[in-house]
Amino acid sequence: MASPVSTSAAPSSSREVTRYVAIAGNPNCGKSTIFNALTGLRQKVGNYPGVTVEKKTGRFFGSHGEAMELLDLPGSYSLQVRSPDEAVARDVLLGRQADTPRPDAIICVVDASNLERNLYLVAQMLELNIPIVVALNMVDVAEKNGVVIDIMALREKLGVPVIAMVATKGVGLIELRQAVSRSPLPPPTIWTQMPIVLEREVMGLARQLPVAPDIARAEALLLLTLHEAALDEVTHHDRAIIEATKAAQQRLGTAGIDPISAPVDARYDWIGQVCAAAHHTGDSHFAASVSDKVDGWLTHRVWGWVAFLGMMALMFFCIFTVAQVPMDWIKDGSDWLGKWVTDHLPESDLRGLLTDGVIAGVGGVVVFLPQILILYFFLGILEDTGYMARAAFIMDRLMSKAGLHGKSFIPMLSSFACAIPGIMATRTIENRKDRLVTILVAPLMSCSARLPVYSLMIAVLIPGHSAMQKAGIMLCMYLLGIFVAFGMAWVFKRKLLKGETPMLLLEMPPYRMPSWKGVALRMWERSGLFMRRAGTVILALSVLLWALATYPKPSDPKATPSEALAQSFAGRMGHAIEPAIKPLGYDWKIGIGLIGSFAAREVFVGTMSIVYSVESKDKEDIAPLRDTMTNEKRNDGSPMFTPLVCIGLMVFYVLAMQCISTVAVVRRETNSWRWPLFQIFYMTGLAWAGAFIVYQGGKLLGFH
Amino acid sequence: MNPLIDQLSVAALVGGALAFFIVRFLRKRAAGKNCGSDCGCGTSKASKAGR
Repeated sequence: MASPVSTSAAPSSSREVTRYVAIAGNPNCGKSTIFNALTGLRQKVGNYPGVTVEKKTGRFFGSHGEAMELLDLPGSYSLQVRSPDEAVARDVLLGRQADTPRPDAIICVVDASNLERNLYLVAQMLELNIPIVVALNMVDVAEKNGVVIDIMALREKLGVPVIAMVATKGVGLIELRQAVSRSPLPPPTIWTQMPIVLEREVMGLARQLPVAPDIARAEALLLLTLHEAALDEVTHHDRAIIEATKAAQQRLGTAGIDPISAPVDARYDWIGQVCAAAHHTGDSHFAASVSDKVDGWLTHRVWGWVAFLGMMALMFFCIFTVAQVPMDWIKDGSDWLGKWVTDHLPESDLRGLLTDGVIAGVGGVVVFLPQILILYFFLGILEDTGYMARAAFIMDRLMSKAGLHGKSFIPMLSSFACAIPGIMATRTIENRKDRLVTILVAPLMSCSARLPVYSLMIAVLIPGHSAMQKAGIMLCMYLLGIFVAFGMAWVFKRKLLKGETPMLLLEMPPYRMPSWKGVALRMWERSGLFMRRAGTVILALSVLLWALATYPKPSDPKATPSEALAQSFAGRMGHAIEPAIKPLGYDWKIGIGLIGSFAAREVFVGTMSIVYSVESKDKEDIAPLRDTMTNEKRNDGSPMFTPLVCIGLMVFYVLAMQCISTVAVVRRETNSWRWPLFQIFYMTGLAWAGAFIVYQGGKLLGFH
Repeated sequence: MNPLIDQLSVAALVGGALAFFIVRFLRKRAAGKNCGSDCGCGTSKASKAGR
């Protein structure tokens, strides 16, 4: 649905920013949707709590054309933080974040269907001394659930502007923009009545704090509500302040007041009064029963798994059937282009570079674009409908057995698309050891870059078989990644990163119709990124790999293509690692593919295209890679790509790290080289062992 | 094709590909970022700006 506001966004405008506005709220209340609608920028909007873990800013314009900077804060339930992403939100609001100014105003997004819980954060926001506009989102869902909210009463009770919204449909966006544009915005009022003794201690501590007077009370209150162990970990205050806090806590304890629970109780007392005045519940029996019935099936001990596996199987089936037609178009286009260049350029190195390097290398990867689009189409729908949270619930049973935290599910699920957002999503995991275990095993999930490798090897393994059989093998590879990830997590949790795993507390979002525009935008964005990567990194790598596979040229001009390749730099590298990969059934040409794809897995396909095109350069046409690989022979005349070699190669790619960007992100997220290096080492070892077991074990059992 | 033009064209393309990776590495280092700008992870400046 088009937003009436988004058309006015002009991020490149040089107009001076008049106001710095932060969007805050509970996870999954629609912050990112409002952010997108106001700024016109695009980002991922999902149903699962905790998707927003990055700092996202954008510019939007007030009702009088004044430029304002908008900051999308990570979702949090309160300012008493439990995870790194919640800490970011708190630090920005308290002006502690070095690279971010303290906001001039806050748009506090409140889920109307969960008013009472969402108001807790509002109560804390009101204590921050920053003007607030409350965006009461999802009023349509609340109404459907039989909840009626008296906006006027709510406005009166909170003392700040309250805008009723349905952000996904653009309802209330103009009013929100007008409210934020008001100058000056009304200052917030602290409504929560703390016990007098507590208030006295808060003010006493606030006077000692070396912070701006307008946030001193909020800072003092946050300090007083910390447990002793958490207080000892505070680094942004002097030791004297920590000791003063502990002394104040002791005095409060003597007075019979628990400094941790008393502010919570006081806030909920006030929330109770607000809800009594503004929140009325009607008949929600029908909606709840339908949702419960669906959940009864989708989260069932047995049927839940059937539904989960069925959906996965359907996804892979579509990847193989629906994608085939556009894949053929791309392949035909690539072949036509290669032939055109061959026809119009005389025999030369340049022609070889363009046909065997650029067209074969880039075309070999781009051909998988339709499959990647279908993967994102399904992931988008599952996320938008709210099914992901149910899948997390089902998987938690399995994950808890492996010692993984339930919150690890989203990072691991995101890793099916790409391990990098998956690893970044681990910021929602509070416990450091649980987070590290998840980071270590997340790249074992089969990312979209593995898809081209699997597709190619499956096509070589079972040419002409049905899409169902191909989808079955693909599903097995995905399941292998999942089970090995759980197995390794079990090992890490028991040997390397011992510790208890806290139980999962999960919010189930209501089932919703997917936003088709959102799904389409995500597919567009992902295809753009994939094509950009194909046009930059993969193009440059293809050119370099072609050069490595072509030079130095053999001194004997009558040398066969195979002899020429063997004498090239790539051939020498392949030969150098051949002793290590021979037990896996691979030859030096596959070795070239393994080396070439160390930086990025999907380059394996392009490398194989280059290796086999270079080798068969006498041919007028660029032979389809699958057929060339199927006909490839060993020195003794036996086929090279036997079923065991194909399966072994797929297993190798399921388990190997082979992604330099992931290594870099693990380095950044763990702040050390120790963990990424360990990860490369263990995953490469695991991949080698897996491929060895498949090949040698298969041979022992009489397969070939 | 003139062999000199042929070799020069190939050298320019291979040199360009090498220069691409060198410039990419230097830019990332200068920006203090570890993640590639085109991996799709959303951490690049372009992704953050929503472009």
